[in-house]
Amino acid sequence: MGSVSIRDVRKSYGSMEILHGVSIDIADGEFVVLVGPSGCGKSTLLRMLAGLEEITGGEIAIDDKVVNALHPKERDIAMVFQSYALYPHMTVAQNMGFSLKLGRAPKEEIGRRVAKAADMLSLTPYLDRYPRQLSGGQRQRVAMGRAMVRDPKVFLFDEPLSNLDAKLRVQMRSEIKQNHQRLKTTTVYVTHDQIEAMTMADRIVVMHDGVVEQIGTPLELYDFPRNLFVAAFIGSPSMNILSGKLSGNSFITADSSAINLPFIPASTNDETVSLGIRPEHFALDPNGMAAEVITVEPTGSETQVAMLLGGHEVVAVFRERITTRPGECLTVKLDPERIHLFDGQSGLRLGQD
Amino acid sequence: MHRKSTGYLFVLPALLVLGMLIAYPVAYTGLLSVTDNQGNLVGLDNFRAILGARATPTAFFNTLWWVVGSIVFQVVLGVLTAILLNQKFRGRAIVRSVTLIPWVVPGIVAATTWAWMLHTEFGIINYMLTAPGVLEEPVGWLTNGSTVLPVMIAINVWKMFPFVAIMVLAGLQSISNDLYEAARIDGASFWEEVWYVMLPQVRPVIVAVTLLLVIWALNHITIIYAITRGGPANRTLITPIQIFRTAFESVQFNQAAALSVMFFAVAITVVFFYIRTTAGNAGASK
Ligand SMILES: Nc1ncnc2c1ncn2[C@@H]1O[C@H](COP(=O)(O)OP(=O)(O)O)[C@@H](O)[C@H]1O
Ligand SMILES: [Mg+2]
Repeated sequence: MGSVSIRDVRKSYGSMEILHGVSIDIADGEFVVLVGPSGCGKSTLLRMLAGLEEITGGEIAIDDKVVNALHPKERDIAMVFQSYALYPHMTVAQNMGFSLKLGRAPKEEIGRRVAKAADMLSLTPYLDRYPRQLSGGQRQRVAMGRAMVRDPKVFLFDEPLSNLDAKLRVQMRSEIKQNHQRLKTTTVYVTHDQIEAMTMADRIVVMHDGVVEQIGTPLELYDFPRNLFVAAFIGSPSMNILSGKLSGNSFITADSSAINLPFIPASTNDETVSLGIRPEHFALDPNGMAAEVITVEPTGSETQVAMLLGGHEVVAVFRERITTRPGECLTVKLDPERIHLFDGQSGLRLGQD
Repeated sequence: MHRKSTGYLFVLPALLVLGMLIAYPVAYTGLLSVTDNQGNLVGLDNFRAILGARATPTAFFNTLWWVVGSIVFQVVLGVLTAILLNQKFRGRAIVRSVTLIPWVVPGIVAATTWAWMLHTEFGIINYMLTAPGVLEEPVGWLTNGSTVLPVMIAINVWKMFPFVAIMVLAGLQSISNDLYEAARIDGASFWEEVWYVMLPQVRPVIVAVTLLLVIWALNHITIIYAITRGGPANRTLITPIQIFRTAFESVQFNQAAALSVMFFAVAITVVFFYIRTTAGNAGASK
């Protein structure tokens, strides 16, 4: 049981402000992912939540209790570090039971809880091994086991999968997700990988340069990015952004081709705007716009085509198997329902009101 | 074949020098220990004579006290200092440098300075203790039989604990910060962090340093010889000083050699453990 409330939290190192007022509300049992490019302050925020960094301004509350002044051990949180931070001189069982031992729990109880967590994580055969005798994936599990044994109010993860190879990462991703579904412990998970965020999160917090850009479910962020940053950050391959001008209900690209819009944005006319379109929202259409093919990358299930459209290089993904070569021309149409428009100055999403 | 013999050729000069400086004296000491001053073989007579000397058991127990007392306090104080110097505080760099001073000061300079400071009538230590009334009257630190060995041990601890501190500090600094943070999140207090995270991680360093300190304490001459020469009444006579005095003050080289041989056997055992421990660490760490 643990809700988390982060209210206008700021962090400065000396005179450098790193976090500029971050507010996030996390419901009990929710799996929230903080995602953003390296250096945007995700780890700092997580460490403030854990009690490893001072809070310069604002408030953090766990279960409606302000924890600003509390030590990590008084916050009832558990954390999984990127480096795992396993105690090298302790066995797997000792690592997992360490917090209970410090809490003066009886021996049988420690043994029982360690065994239960080890069972959930398939670590039972390794309980007497030392961390150096384990593979990367096993160490990762021990780090999670150490957190699970405590049954805390909140789990904190800081890029826990970034030291694993791609295949293991996908596997651990789903294991973490499954464990969350079983334990239902509130989780705050930090990553720079938007795919990890999309696949794991109940809700995603997109951060950038010490501010929250948008909070929402994965599909909300995907379908309605609030600004250019979120639009470009979420999705892979990322959204194509074309800059141009508005004219009536058309978007005029840099090389003066017109794209029809499904709606006329309210305030802007004849001003610079950016048009965003995701790669999968192109369709082949004999009456569409001409685009010159630059590269073709078939993956089997789909074909990714880089092409020159309206003076911009864009990437399109087609479900059908198209046979085309660099230098040839395709005629494509943009799905009008899936066009995003952003203000040229502020980068904010333009609605159809 | 060819390459191997070329290799021997390259190390030959070093081997010759080592042979002359180490193997020859060791062998010659062995020879001295079983001959008289005319060079006649006398079997174990020298051993019997020196073991029968009244000073020998005294020196043996003094050495035991000296080594155990020095090591315990050097290691405890050194480790505590290392833990302190590993914390973040203002002026840490300066404190770290100042801590090293006793270790850097030449032994003979330190000994002479301490001898002055501990002087019964004119020493600053008695002055500082009697002036505010902590002590009723001056203590004869270096002349009183019950204080002199503890004082020597204290000076040795003062001289060597910085070495322990610096070695252990280097070990502590190589511990990843994540481990401390993980321990804090697991609910460890500061002393629990020390006990469960720091000490187990620097244990190999502490073991190696302790064995080195044992070797150095066993070989020690400078401080004691410069201050008391083993006196008063043999209260600070430790075996290396007994050997030194038997040889160069009583000019009984053969008995001194016999004592050296026995002492060498003890020292070599410690060295053996030292090498085995440090080699073991090198193997285990990777
Ligand atoms: N101890 C520190 N002192 C000064 N600056 C720091 C410190 N820790 C982090 N920073 C700065 O804070 C910013 C955010 O860091 P961090 O939270 O680690 O980013 P992220 O985890 O999102 O990659 C970075 O610009 C980093 O340089
Ligand atoms: Mg980080």
